[in-house]
Amino acid sequence: MVGEPILVMLVEDNVDHAELVIRTMEEHRIANKVRHFLDGQSALDYLFHRNEYVDPQLNPRPHVILLDLRLPRVDGIDVLKAIKEDNELKSIPVVVLTTSEAEKDVARAYYNHANSYLVKPVGFEEFKKLMDDLGFYWLGWNTNPNIRD
Amino acid sequence: MNFGKLLSLPDLKNSDARVTARLIYFTSVGLIALSLVFFLVISLVAPNLTGRVTVMALMTVLVSFGNIVLVNYGNLRLAGTLLITLAWVVVTIGSITAGGISAPIAIGYMIVVLLGGVLSSNRVNLYLTFLCIGTGILIAYAETNGLIPQAVQYTPSARVAIYSFFLLAALLLQSITAGNMRGLTANIRKSEEKYRSLLENIPITTYINSPDENAYTEYVSPQVKKLLGYVQDDFLRDPLFWIKIIHPEDRERVLAENIRTAQTHEPFNMEYRLITKDGRSIWVKDEAIFLRDESNQSEYWLGVWTDITSRKVAEEEQADLISVMTKRTIQLQTGADVSRAASSILDLDKLLPTVAELIRNHFDYYYVGIFLVDASKQWAILRAATGEMGRQMIAAGHKLEIGESSMIGWCILHGQARIALDAGEEAVRFRNPLLPLTRSEIALPLTARGEVIGAMTIQSELSSAFSRADITVLQAMADQVGNAIQNARLFTERAGLIKELEGRNTELERFTYTVSHDLKSPLVTIRGFLGFLRDSARTGNMERFDRDMHRIANAVDKMQALLNDLLELSRVGRLNTLHEDIPFGKIIQEAVELVIPPSDETRVKIIVQQDLPVVHGDHLRLVEVMQNLISNAVKFMGNQAEPRIEIGQHGFDQDGKPVFFVRDNGIGIEPQYHERIFGLFNRLDPTINGTGIGLTLVKRIIELHGGRIWVESRLGAGATFYFTLPSN
Repeated sequence: MVGEPILVMLVEDNVDHAELVIRTMEEHRIANKVRHFLDGQSALDYLFHRNEYVDPQLNPRPHVILLDLRLPRVDGIDVLKAIKEDNELKSIPVVVLTTSEAEKDVARAYYNHANSYLVKPVGFEEFKKLMDDLGFYWLGWNTNPNIRD
Repeated sequence: MNFGKLLSLPDLKNSDARVTARLIYFTSVGLIALSLVFFLVISLVAPNLTGRVTVMALMTVLVSFGNIVLVNYGNLRLAGTLLITLAWVVVTIGSITAGGISAPIAIGYMIVVLLGGVLSSNRVNLYLTFLCIGTGILIAYAETNGLIPQAVQYTPSARVAIYSFFLLAALLLQSITAGNMRGLTANIRKSEEKYRSLLENIPITTYINSPDENAYTEYVSPQVKKLLGYVQDDFLRDPLFWIKIIHPEDRERVLAENIRTAQTHEPFNMEYRLITKDGRSIWVKDEAIFLRDESNQSEYWLGVWTDITSRKVAEEEQADLISVMTKRTIQLQTGADVSRAASSILDLDKLLPTVAELIRNHFDYYYVGIFLVDASKQWAILRAATGEMGRQMIAAGHKLEIGESSMIGWCILHGQARIALDAGEEAVRFRNPLLPLTRSEIALPLTARGEVIGAMTIQSELSSAFSRADITVLQAMADQVGNAIQNARLFTERAGLIKELEGRNTELERFTYTVSHDLKSPLVTIRGFLGFLRDSARTGNMERFDRDMHRIANAVDKMQALLNDLLELSRVGRLNTLHEDIPFGKIIQEAVELVIPPSDETRVKIIVQQDLPVVHGDHLRLVEVMQNLISNAVKFMGNQAEPRIEIGQHGFDQDGKPVFFVRDNGIGIEPQYHERIFGLFNRLDPTINGTGIGLTLVKRIIELHGGRIWVESRLGAGATFYFTLPSN
């Protein structure tokens, strides 16, 4: 791993929650850059280089995607499906990060090939720990197929 | 060989043969006797002839004996021929040897001819006669030319003896013949008697008709009296009498067949009715054949009348029985079919037409219709009807008032069947121009659990088409239909209830799911930022501290708003609030004031239509509805330079309710979300403030008022929300 920071795509409609993630990741030891998208449509536009995200140089592929399930317009599951059905994008690990613990959400996410499912904890310490561990695991330990040297 | 038996008269079976046998036998016996006597006489009177006589007598006796034997052997033909030949030979030889035709023996040819007449047919006898004449001529010729020796001298006594012999022989033949004739006649008469007795005693009537087309009666047997009461004389006096007593309905075909068979000579075979003397009508079987009598060339029809009345009556009864049974079977079958339909078809729109058509079809009625009582219990609406006229009536929304003005109305009112056996006479009858052929009608009530829920009308083109038994069967079917309707309704109700329950369940699930999620979310924010607050406090980053405090406060507010709205949503529909008549304009006014306070500077222009109608409903809730709609319209204006909201009425819907609208020229809603926006917690744009409950609440309230709400919109072209409310 050379100096280039890991690019994390955060798809989250709640600005407060997004802020929590961004702040925590900013303080993480593993260098990373978070790009935040408020809804599923703009996230897909980015990944498929559509509309304002046409230039792949300016809009590089993320190394990992943090995806909330409850998104306006295009649902989180639909975003997941779109990513996992695309030959180019399907290898990007997608970590579902959501408030819902509902079994059917978990089942659906995994059924559509989510790489991991994380429930946002209530509590600052817990949240920080999760983000830390998330960072260490997915950005540190996990060998990412899309690392460009 | 039994001489005695051989020489006695045989007892032949055939009476005619017997007669002939007797003839030959007695003739032979007679000849023997005569010959002997003659021999004696001649030997006394004319001894010179004895020699000749002896020879001739001997011949005669021998041949006669021979004949008797032959007769015994049954060979009558030969015997007869022999006798005749004997006679001829004797006479001829006698004549020739006794001086020719002048000899007294020549008279013997007469005997020959007589014998021939008795023993053979006319034609043979004719030949025989000519033979004798021929022979006589030959002998005379011979005598004239002196070829015959005058050998014998006949004294007068000899002559008289000879003449006497032949006279006696003639007498013998005559009496035997006469006796035979009598015997034959007696035989014939006995036969006739036997047949006549047979014919006049067997229990059928025989007749003889003339062979031509007229069929005159030539004979009718006495049994006709027993058959018809008329005597034989009645038929013979008027030979066409038999035609006059044929039943008028059958006469034509009988005469037609009569003429046909008279021409073709085929056997005549018909069954028809005759009218007896005392006016009754009986069935007879008439079989006749055409006969020709060979002997006298006469032709006639020989026929037989057999009384088949009892058979015909039995046949008719059987036919009636079969007809009744068939009818019953059809009724039972129909009953079974109706039953099956009633228990298997739960959709009333399929069941009622099926049953109506079943009944009409199986009994071949003119028309069947089924009415159901409507909600107001004042009208009976036609729900199923057969045929084209039925279709038209249903399409026209045909209905009848429950009451005394029609059969159906009366029937439902009183809960009893009503029958019009003759449609013209029946007072309570609604004359339907689409059913002009109805002659009789029956209206049967359809009941379920003691309540009359409708009625069935069955109409026939025949008058008095419904027997008591029919009515019982039809009522049973009507009862089944009533039950089936009840079942169908219950089923639909049940299905509806289940659907509602399922809907509620689903909603509850979603509710719980979403609530837990949406309540959890602010908690995550609050707890998350509390930590950062501590950090900021420690590091002294007050700017961040303030910002984060703000976030927390907002999250708390959001939770509170959510809880309030949820409470409101659950309240709506639970509390029985007062429904009153309120002018819709007033509701709008109150809502506007709540949403846009007079001090507001958003410059949104609100245009309200004049003269809006009065609506009937819950005042507070209706204000809430308008509040939500107007506030949404304001929120979703986007970059609209001249934001405008129009509120008004857009006509009426098909139930007569006024249709209101709220139209904005904001950012609009894509068509794919037109349904979703009414769903709980569905928010199209999370950046725009809102709990996601507003439209759900609006929809719930409107539907509780019995109205509908829907949206018409395109992205970038504003949105119009339409909804209906009860007026009154």
